[in-house]
Amino acid sequence: MARKILCVAEKPAIARAVATHMSGGSFQTHAIRGNQYVKNYEFEFNFGAPWGNCSVTMTSVIGHLTGLDFERQYKGWLSCPPSSLFEAPVKEEVDKDKLPIAENIRNQAKYSKALFIWTDCDREGEHIGSEVRNQAKTGNSRIEVRRARFSNTERAHVLRAAREPVELDEFQANAVAARIELDLRIGAAFTRLQTLQLQAVAEILKEKVISYGSCQFPTLGFVVDRYLRVQNFKPETFWGIKVMLQREGKKVNFLWKRVHLFDRAAVIMMLERCLLAKKAKVTKVNQKPKSKWRPLPLTTVDLQMMGSRFLRLDSQTIMKVAEALYTKGFISYPRTETDQFDKAIDLKKLVEKQFPDNRWGQYARELMDGKFRTPRSGPHNDKAHPPIHPVSWVNPSQLNENEKKVYEFVTRRFLACCSDDAKGKGTEIEILYGEEIFHANGLIVLEKNYLDVYVYDKWESSQQLPNFEKNEMFEPTEANISEGKTTAPSYLTEPELIGLMDANGIGTDATMAEHIAKIKEREYVVVNKRGSGRSSIEELIPTRLGIALVEGYDNVVAGLPNSISLSKPFLRKEMELRMLEICAGSKTRQEVVQQSLDMYREVFIHTQRRIAMLKTACRKYLVDQA
Amino acid sequence: MASSEQIAAQILNTKSLSVSQSWLNTLLTNSNSAQRNIPASALTKTALFRVLASDFRESLTTSPSTVLPVDIIDPTVQERRLQGPIPVQVLDIEDIGTSLWSQVEAIERVERGEAIRGREVVRTIPMGDDNEGADNANGPAPNASGSSGYGPHRLILQDSAGTKTVAIEMKPIEGISLEKLSIGAKLVLQNATVARGMVLLNPGCVTLLGGKIDALDRPWKEDRKKRLLERISTLQGT
Repeated sequence: MARKILCVAEKPAIARAVATHMSGGSFQTHAIRGNQYVKNYEFEFNFGAPWGNCSVTMTSVIGHLTGLDFERQYKGWLSCPPSSLFEAPVKEEVDKDKLPIAENIRNQAKYSKALFIWTDCDREGEHIGSEVRNQAKTGNSRIEVRRARFSNTERAHVLRAAREPVELDEFQANAVAARIELDLRIGAAFTRLQTLQLQAVAEILKEKVISYGSCQFPTLGFVVDRYLRVQNFKPETFWGIKVMLQREGKKVNFLWKRVHLFDRAAVIMMLERCLLAKKAKVTKVNQKPKSKWRPLPLTTVDLQMMGSRFLRLDSQTIMKVAEALYTKGFISYPRTETDQFDKAIDLKKLVEKQFPDNRWGQYARELMDGKFRTPRSGPHNDKAHPPIHPVSWVNPSQLNENEKKVYEFVTRRFLACCSDDAKGKGTEIEILYGEEIFHANGLIVLEKNYLDVYVYDKWESSQQLPNFEKNEMFEPTEANISEGKTTAPSYLTEPELIGLMDANGIGTDATMAEHIAKIKEREYVVVNKRGSGRSSIEELIPTRLGIALVEGYDNVVAGLPNSISLSKPFLRKEMELRMLEICAGSKTRQEVVQQSLDMYREVFIHTQRRIAMLKTACRKYLVDQA
Repeated sequence: MASSEQIAAQILNTKSLSVSQSWLNTLLTNSNSAQRNIPASALTKTALFRVLASDFRESLTTSPSTVLPVDIIDPTVQERRLQGPIPVQVLDIEDIGTSLWSQVEAIERVERGEAIRGREVVRTIPMGDDNEGADNANGPAPNASGSSGYGPHRLILQDSAGTKTVAIEMKPIEGISLEKLSIGAKLVLQNATVARGMVLLNPGCVTLLGGKIDALDRPWKEDRKKRLLERISTLQGT
C-alpha cells in the first residue's frame, strides 16, 4: 500500500482548493462526524523524493483548535480578586465545538506517515499549525511533521509548496502563544475590575460588560483624541497677501511664501512695503521635469486604507472579501506587510493573465508591448508573503458586488505597479516684491502612464503660465490682503485610524480591522455618515461611555511619573515589539509574558488604587450628561 | 585688578553696551572680598555675564543715540531708520506663523508626556498625495516646547530707558525661536528700519548677545499656555 500523508489547512475552502490542484480535480470527499463544514478529501499525489507517490487525506481545521482559559475555580466573576488573574493558573483546551475536528486529525494521523501543515503562512497560521501538530502527535507519536509554504492558491504555486515543504516556525508559534496568554490575563483582569466597579455607577451600565482589550483601548484612544480636538477647536483669523499679474491674456496668481500670518498689522505693513517697491523682480524661472510616482506594491494596511477610501467598504469587509478572493484562487494571500516583489515572481506572466478583461485588458497588452516597468520596491518585507496581486483573471460575472470592487482595485493597483510613472513638466516662477517672496507654479501632464489604469489617483495639468525672464521687473496688476479662518480637523475616518494603528504598532495588519469592529460592537464608538453619495464620509465618533473610559484612565495616571495611560498606544507597542523578539529568537515566551505582565500589573495597581477617577469620569458623562 | 572703567570700556567696545558706572561698582564691591586676585579678562567676563542677566534699565546708561525714539510705536510713521547701536532686551516673543490653538495643542502634548518621552503619538498620517516626485516639503513637526518653529516671530523689545516697541522677524535670525530665546535676552540694533511702529529685524541689523532675566523668564514660561488660552478667548469674544 502506498504511504499515506495527512494534510491540514486552516480553512475548509483552502483544503478544497489545494486538494483540487494536487489531485488534478479527482478526489473523494468524506464527511467527518460532528462537523458539517470540515471534509476529508482523499486522492493520490506524487510528492517527489523522498516521499514519492502517496495517498493523501487533505482536511482542515477552522481557525484555532484550542483556547486558553483559567482553571474552573477562577472562572466566576466574583471567584477571586481580579488582580489574581495576572498569576492564576491557566490551561489550554480544545474548544468544545472543535472537538470533532481534533478527533478527526488524531484518527487520520494514526494511519499516516507524515503530517503536512497547510495553515496560512503568517504568525497566527504558525500557531494553528502547532495546535494541529499536537493533535496529530497525540494520535501518532511517530508522525513526521512538515509545513507547506504558500502564499496563494494558484495551481503551480500549490504544487511547488507540496513538493518543497519546510519546518514549522516554533518562534512564531510561541509569539502567538505569548500574545494569547497576555490578552487573556490582562483582558480578564481589567475587564472584571472595571465592569464590577463601574456597573454601580450608572443605570445604563448595570447589566453591561465593559470589556477591556490592550489593542481596543488605544484604538478607542485615537478616536477620542481626535473627537476632543474637534470639539475643543477654536477658529482663528489669519491674513495673507495675494499678488496677481495679467499677462498674455492670462491671470497669474502668485502665492505668498509665508502663506499666511496671524498678525494683521504685520501683514498690512508687509503689503505696504510691497506696494512701495512698485515693481517685482523675477528671481527664479525653473522648468523641470516632474513625475508622479506609480504606487508601491500593495500591502494589507494599504489595501484597508485605500480600500475604505476609494471603495467605500469598511476595513473588516474588505478583508473578508479579500480572503474570499484568495480562497477562490483569484488573488494572492491578502495578509502581508511586503511592498516589494521578489525577483523570482514572473510579473509579466501575471500581467498577461489580465488580457481577457474588457476594462484593463488592452492596457495590460500595451504593458507587454514595451511599456512594462519593474515595480518600485518599498522598504518592507515580511519574508513570508509577496505584495497582494491578482493570481488569475476572473470574469466579473462570477463575482458579487464587493468582490468585483476589491478584485478591480487589486488588479488596477498591480498593473499600475508594473507601469511607468506619470510624467509632466513643472514651471516654478519666484518673485521678490518689496521684501516678500511669492511664487507661481504650473504643471503640464505629458504622459499619464500608470494613471490610465489606476483611476484612484488624480494628477492634472494646471493653467499654463505665460513667459517670464529671470531678473525681469514687472508691476503686478493687483496686490491685496486676503483673510481666512483656521478650520477644525475632521473626525477620524477608518482609513486614518488604520494608519494611526499601523504607525503606532497597535495590532497587526491581520487584526486591525477586528479591533475597530470590536470598539464599534462594544458601543465605545459609533459611525456617523456625513454628506451623501460619492462624497459621503464615514466618521468615527466616540460614545459617552467611550469618552468616559479614556478620560478616566488618563486621569488614573495623571501626575504619576512614568505611568502611561491605557488609552495610549505605548504599552501595547512595547508588547508588540517583544513579540517580534520572540519571533527573532532573542527572547523566550516566558520572559516576554513576565515582562509584559509586570508592565500592565503596575497600571492595574494604580487603577485599583485610583478607581474613583474612573468612576467620576463615568458619572460625569453617563449620569450628569456632561 | 582691573578698574571698573577698564571693564566698562571693554564691554562697550566689544558689545556696544555702555554699562553704568555705579551699577558696575556695586557689582564689583559685592564680589570684591572673595575675588581679589582675579585677572581682568575673567572679571570682564563675569561682569558681562551679569550685564546680560540684568535689567538694562538698571545696568546701562542712557544717551539719545542708544535709546529708541519715545514715539517709536506711532503707526502713522511709514518708515524711519534707527542708527544705533541701541541695546534692547526681549520682553516677549510669539510665533505669528502658527495659530494660537495649535500652539496650545502642542503644549498639551508635552504636558501629557508624549513629546518628552520621545515616543510621540503620530496624529496625522499623510494620505494619498505622498508620491508626488521630489518636492514634497512637509512642514516641520511641532517640537517639544510647543511651537512649530515656523516663525516669523513678533518680539516686544525694551531699551535702557524703558521704552518698548514691537519688532517683527522679517528674515529668519539664528537664535530667535521660542526654545532658544529667553525672556530678558539682550540684543543690539544697528541701522534697523522701523515701519508703522514695528522694528524690522534682519540678520544684518541685529546682534544677538543672549542672556536672560530669570525673574521674567520663569513666569513667562509657566504662564504661556494660560496666556495663549486667554488670547484665544478674547479673539472668540470679538
